[in-house]
Amino acid sequence: MERFLFKNTLTYQLLLTLQKYLTVFISTLGNIVIMMGMVLKRIIKFDIDIKELIYQCYRFGVSSLPITLSIVGMSSVIVATQVAGEMIKQGGGNYVGMFVAILLVREEAVIMSGFAIIYMIGSSLASEIATMKVTDQIDAIKVLKVDPIRYLFAPRILSGIIMMPLLTIIATLFGILGGAVASNLASGLSYRAFFDSVWFGLFVRDMYISIFKAAVFGFVIALISCTCGYYADGGAKGVGDATTKAVVWSFIAIVFLDMIFAIAFFF
Amino acid sequence: MGIKVENLTKTFDSKKVIDNISFSVNDGEILAIVGFSGSGKSTVLKLISGLITPDGGNIITTGDIAMVFQYSALFDSLNVFDNISFALVERKDLRKKYTEQELHKIVKEKLELVGLSGIEGKFPSELSGGMQKRVSFARAIVTEPQIILYDEPTAGLDPISSTLIENYIVRLKNETNAASIVVTHQMSTIKRTADKVIMLYNGQIVFAGTPDELEKEETPYTKQFVNASLDGPMKMFAE
Repeated sequence: MERFLFKNTLTYQLLLTLQKYLTVFISTLGNIVIMMGMVLKRIIKFDIDIKELIYQCYRFGVSSLPITLSIVGMSSVIVATQVAGEMIKQGGGNYVGMFVAILLVREEAVIMSGFAIIYMIGSSLASEIATMKVTDQIDAIKVLKVDPIRYLFAPRILSGIIMMPLLTIIATLFGILGGAVASNLASGLSYRAFFDSVWFGLFVRDMYISIFKAAVFGFVIALISCTCGYYADGGAKGVGDATTKAVVWSFIAIVFLDMIFAIAFFF
Repeated sequence: MGIKVENLTKTFDSKKVIDNISFSVNDGEILAIVGFSGSGKSTVLKLISGLITPDGGNIITTGDIAMVFQYSALFDSLNVFDNISFALVERKDLRKKYTEQELHKIVKEKLELVGLSGIEGKFPSELSGGMQKRVSFARAIVTEPQIILYDEPTAGLDPISSTLIENYIVRLKNETNAASIVVTHQMSTIKRTADKVIMLYNGQIVFAGTPDELEKEETPYTKQFVNASLDGPMKMFAE
């Protein structure tokens, strides 16, 4: 590059910055793929620390349930409040429940739960693993001849696959309930009309897709967070950088995957 | 023979951190590795423990290797009992070998060996730096290793705690007959614990001898280290 461009030119600096970001992107992606391979190998063989898996499932589910329900519930109330009045005016009052339910099952519940999980669990996983890395705790595990993938990473990532669908189901039910209450209070829509419309508009396929998406999101969030934590270096700054990276990458990954799922299942 | 290192080489980012070094440590012997920060001391321990792989040379070891880390590296989410019994519970070849009762007995014995009793339920954050260090000693010896590596075991401790730790290093050597390597900056640690010493500078051995010889020998390297002088062949942050 230096042969063709002058070092002080803006083009050169831009290309250099681009090269730096591209290198970080490719190496992070490579690290995630390597970690995925190692973890999947343990999960397929079920070579996992069961005690740790149970604890991580508890941590994943219990600690993130209030925030997940709050986010999904509130966004459902917002949508129902905005839409119910207008739909009733246009003569579509019988479709409010269906609209809210389809929105929740196909998109809102799973993506909002994903965001909540990134805040609550992804950042916590990344900072926990990064702290263990920079304080030599992961090296200590290796020197004690314990497999860190089996003990640390596989239980955390499998707990994401198990718990995220459960959280999404509970959040969906909570969101539908919130939508019904909001429609009733804001526009006087009866609960019966709302729930009749929900049953009319929901398909089992949508629910399966939602659960599958949730499992993939749970896997991806936990995988990215653990990987970013594992490759942390330096001290407190390294932990902070790893946490930020985990949150940013998880956000981008689940929005990107959501787009792929939308194209694959509903295009 | 505990540890035999032959022509060991390690390069990071085209810089030779360890440059063709050889040494050996017998069972029941303590080798101190000294040198300024960045001279490659801790890298040697990481190479011997298998945390990083060498670019060249051989490391021949007999038996299990244990390592005590500079800042203890205790698992902060586990209590003292779980920290010490960790390898016995989680290691593939040891898993399910011990009953809960046996585990408690072993942990109790190891804690007594490092002068701590009745703290099994405490978490690392509830212990002083010296106590954390001793718990990490107990964790290291729980699998009866034949090789024990100490990475700056007295770093960050007050002089009295340092002496206590140094006494435990010697005690563990006597109890286990393990071959030990202590990476340190401190003359007191070298004098109290080591049977022999090597000094590293720029990844190479610039002195090998006994602690007495280190103090008495009039080479530019040993003089500078012992007198903690800025003048001499060794430059801090050497390029």
